[in-house]
Amino acid sequence: MTSWAGAFGPLPFFGTNMRKFLICLALLALGWPLAALAQTVADVAAANRDKIVKPSRQTIGPVIDALVASGDLATPALLAAWADKRLGLRASDGLFFILDDNGEVWGLTSLAGAAAGDAPKGDIVVLKPNSGVRSLIATALVQFQLTDPAQVESALASVARDPDGANLAPLRAAIAATSDGTLKARMVRLERLLTVGFDEDPKARVAAIEGFGADLGVDVRAVLNPLVATTRVAGLAAPEGNVARRLSVGKDISPVEAYDMLVAAGMAPARLTREDQRAALLANTADGASGGVPVAELNSEDARNRAYTALEVAGTVPFAATDDEVAAAVVAHQFYDVYNESNAQVTVAAAAALTRVDRAVGVMQAADLALDALSLASIYFLAAIGLAITFGVMRVINMAHGEFIMMGAYVGYLVQQVIPNPTLSIVISLPLAFLVTFLAGVALERLVIRHLARRPLETLLATFGISIALQQLAKNIFGTQARPLTAPGWLDGAWVLNDVVSISYIRIAIFGLALIFLAFFLVVMTRTRLGLQVRAVTQNPAMAASMGINPDRINMLTFGLGSAIAGVAGVAIGLFAKVTSELGSDYIVQSFMTVVVGGVGSIFGMLAGAAMIGGLQKVIEFLNPSNTLAAQTYMVLFIILFIQFRPRGIIALHGRAAGD
Amino acid sequence: MKLTRRMLLASGVAAIAAPRIALSQEGPIKVGVLHSLSGTMAISETTLKDTMMMLIQEQNAKGGILGRQIEAVVVDPASDWPLFAEKARELLTVSKVDVMFGCWTSVSRKSVLPVIEELNGLLFYPVQYEGEESSKNVFYTGAAPNQQAIPATDYYLQELGVQKFALLGTDYVYPRTTNNILESYLISKGIPKEDIFVNYTPFGHSDWSKIVADVVALGADGKKVGVISTVNGDANIGFYKELAAAGVSAVDIPVVAFSVGEEELSGLDTSNLVGHLAAWNYFMTADVPVNAEFITKWKAFAGENRVTNDPMEAHVIGFAMWVKAVEAAGTTAVDDVRAKMYGLEVPNLTGGIAKMLANHHLTKPVLIGEIRADGQFDIISQTEPVAGDAWTDFLPESAVLDSDWPGLDCGMYNTETKTCVQIKSNY
Repeated sequence: MTSWAGAFGPLPFFGTNMRKFLICLALLALGWPLAALAQTVADVAAANRDKIVKPSRQTIGPVIDALVASGDLATPALLAAWADKRLGLRASDGLFFILDDNGEVWGLTSLAGAAAGDAPKGDIVVLKPNSGVRSLIATALVQFQLTDPAQVESALASVARDPDGANLAPLRAAIAATSDGTLKARMVRLERLLTVGFDEDPKARVAAIEGFGADLGVDVRAVLNPLVATTRVAGLAAPEGNVARRLSVGKDISPVEAYDMLVAAGMAPARLTREDQRAALLANTADGASGGVPVAELNSEDARNRAYTALEVAGTVPFAATDDEVAAAVVAHQFYDVYNESNAQVTVAAAAALTRVDRAVGVMQAADLALDALSLASIYFLAAIGLAITFGVMRVINMAHGEFIMMGAYVGYLVQQVIPNPTLSIVISLPLAFLVTFLAGVALERLVIRHLARRPLETLLATFGISIALQQLAKNIFGTQARPLTAPGWLDGAWVLNDVVSISYIRIAIFGLALIFLAFFLVVMTRTRLGLQVRAVTQNPAMAASMGINPDRINMLTFGLGSAIAGVAGVAIGLFAKVTSELGSDYIVQSFMTVVVGGVGSIFGMLAGAAMIGGLQKVIEFLNPSNTLAAQTYMVLFIILFIQFRPRGIIALHGRAAGD
Repeated sequence: MKLTRRMLLASGVAAIAAPRIALSQEGPIKVGVLHSLSGTMAISETTLKDTMMMLIQEQNAKGGILGRQIEAVVVDPASDWPLFAEKARELLTVSKVDVMFGCWTSVSRKSVLPVIEELNGLLFYPVQYEGEESSKNVFYTGAAPNQQAIPATDYYLQELGVQKFALLGTDYVYPRTTNNILESYLISKGIPKEDIFVNYTPFGHSDWSKIVADVVALGADGKKVGVISTVNGDANIGFYKELAAAGVSAVDIPVVAFSVGEEELSGLDTSNLVGHLAAWNYFMTADVPVNAEFITKWKAFAGENRVTNDPMEAHVIGFAMWVKAVEAAGTTAVDDVRAKMYGLEVPNLTGGIAKMLANHHLTKPVLIGEIRADGQFDIISQTEPVAGDAWTDFLPESAVLDSDWPGLDCGMYNTETKTCVQIKSNY
């Protein structure tokens, strides 16, 4: 019992663990394997030092088992520290310590739980097991953590990730001991998953499978699918085991595959190729005959096969199958799919459950696709809504529109440098971005666009040049690195309906913002004096001027408004994508496409345009999941075709409003 | 000896020309730096330009090479692939540089190749790439697939027990070739073809929700899923943000990236990325004195907040080798320098030695790192130096090819037919 003393050296430790110690003593009395107690966890660790220092998932299993089997109460602490990258090896004496980061030095705790002073960081090699090893450690830790309220979360997470039959009993015990409702529900679900995979009793497994109903969870499917996995076997009669179905040759399995299976299983010789046959017959030609057939007669397939068979019988050539023999062998054998799971009741229940689940998954996938399409449409809409004003209403082709988006995103970044609180900084940067890009838009209008009025080609070239200049300016000021724009914590994560349908909160927020802007646009254009004046000026500037409206001022304000909306959109887009100087140019093509497809000048047309482009992109991505770039190409092709048939877009303006 | 008028004339010309030759010998040695300082790749390449400036400054402080100072000629090919060829031609014919250090994406290197092979220039290419190439005029100081992609895949198979693979990449030559190699490698390791999901996205892609959902759905048949990412440039930011939003942690679905290093992570909030992986031949956290010294120098040169990364180490090794070769050759003439390059050994920054091989590749250790919350990597696996292989053994058509410039004077030698397939690398 000397090793026990080592493990419990300092008295306070002994005291806090009195209860556990008593349990251990009780276990000892009940006949806990004595051999295991002969070693402390420190001894086991020392004996396996090399494996612990450089662990591999493939070899560390027995070491972890040995550590757990030591029964030492210090085991959980050692395992937890090891998984946490807090276990260190002192280079001088090869002893393991649990580490605490005390700034310049490591605070050391011996494996037995005694404080062992400090050590400079250079003296200790910190062990960094890879995540494969860490997941094995976590699985071993589960039984210790389930009863501890502080650690039960991580234990359950580990069970969910790496289901292991050994944890079924501790989990059941924990369920019985838990009173917390939500925790208990999670445990029961995990217990069911483990039961399906690992319980001995088929009835319990079937009951667990049926308990899931049409549950869509990836974890449920991950447990059920392996149960219905099959292996293909061939034989002269029906095989032993849980047969899924008999395959009919020619329908379920081609004759070629069937024969390949027989060859692979060693139940039939390999096929005889023409070249091999010719070479074998030539090599065995003697006295003008080969295999008893005169060479002169070897001009037919049949004769050659006869000759080769004679040679096979004589043992001069290896056995090989001619086409006839192949066909005969395939007919003589039977081919089956056999479940890897041996119990038929379980496989029947699993197959039925999967059929239910698959139907539901199909429906949910469609819903998820629709949600993704809606989200993409709202992003395009948000990027393009400023353009709906400058291009749609004023007919100014502003290639620098994307740079206003970029400017807004950089405003968001700058505000976050001053105000680190993400929520507050976003609240401030939205109006600030509006203001900054409004002023930039006004400046652009006064300095450039006004002088190029009614000269679209010059406007296009001038704004394109400004776009490049602004990008370069951003590079000079902010550098070429992407800048972080951190979303508030409450926008992290995703709204999850089930394991198939989910959408991140940030995308929902963008969707909401797009709706707000739609309302804003409608109110400004139809309910305010400014909107009335804007519409008047765009339809007939001369008449509007004679009614006392200053067209120059209105044009300036309108352009500023369009730019300002782009700036606010930029803050939102920066939150979900990235803040770089190229941010704007990524969206300029889609923005113009949205406006043109929807119908220039019509906000609802633009809405329809964004929905169509977003939806189309997602459907093509769904049909061709391996190449997103191809999806975009097909979409542009479709839009070119679409414009051929509806040159004025989805909703075309008529009469004077059309402006031409 | 009879003095003729012609000889007199010749000696007169020589007398006039001689001082000029001497002058050009005394002028500075010119080093071209061909990295994008704008456009989508600027996020990665600007740092390499800065690294070259630091190395050149440092060498000049030591007295230059062969008693001459080094002058950097910096151009900006602006992430525009054809412009790389233009700028390379400009460097060689107008600025008359002695050597070039540059390129990041493979497509930019491919566009430079015909120019430097035509004009017999010399390029040091510092980035991990897809292999399947060995040009007489390029030294590849980054990793070949067998020094990065294959060991990382082995790590997935053996250490993480991954059974299903998602190969995500940006749509250009490096991801496509690497994924081809990985696909045939995985199939050779017994992974069925239907368990390998491949997806390509455009440069700068930001709408990742569908792709991330597809990857999560791969786990429905109970097999462990792993992602191998050859996504390049700033598209990574949207990708990692979407992963984090979808709640995909590194323990559920690990992502190993071949183009994401310390520099790329510095533009990101990494708290949600902890535990995801990267495979490189160098990490800033390499705990050896030579690395600590390099980091100190870099921070003093570029700023306290700057990080170091793998392609920077490649430039450090490449530049040190070039300096050694020039000193050994006594000239900067391309052919002489090249002859002295083979077999050169310089220390790398992870405590080992990098050796230049006959196929213009280096020996490099393979490191696998886990992302930490501070944007650095925990090195969890480090191999002995691996010899770079220009032609992969995992594609049947290139398994028979070999590259040996000093021995065979050929970068594409068919070992079965014992012939040189071609000298130029315009394949």
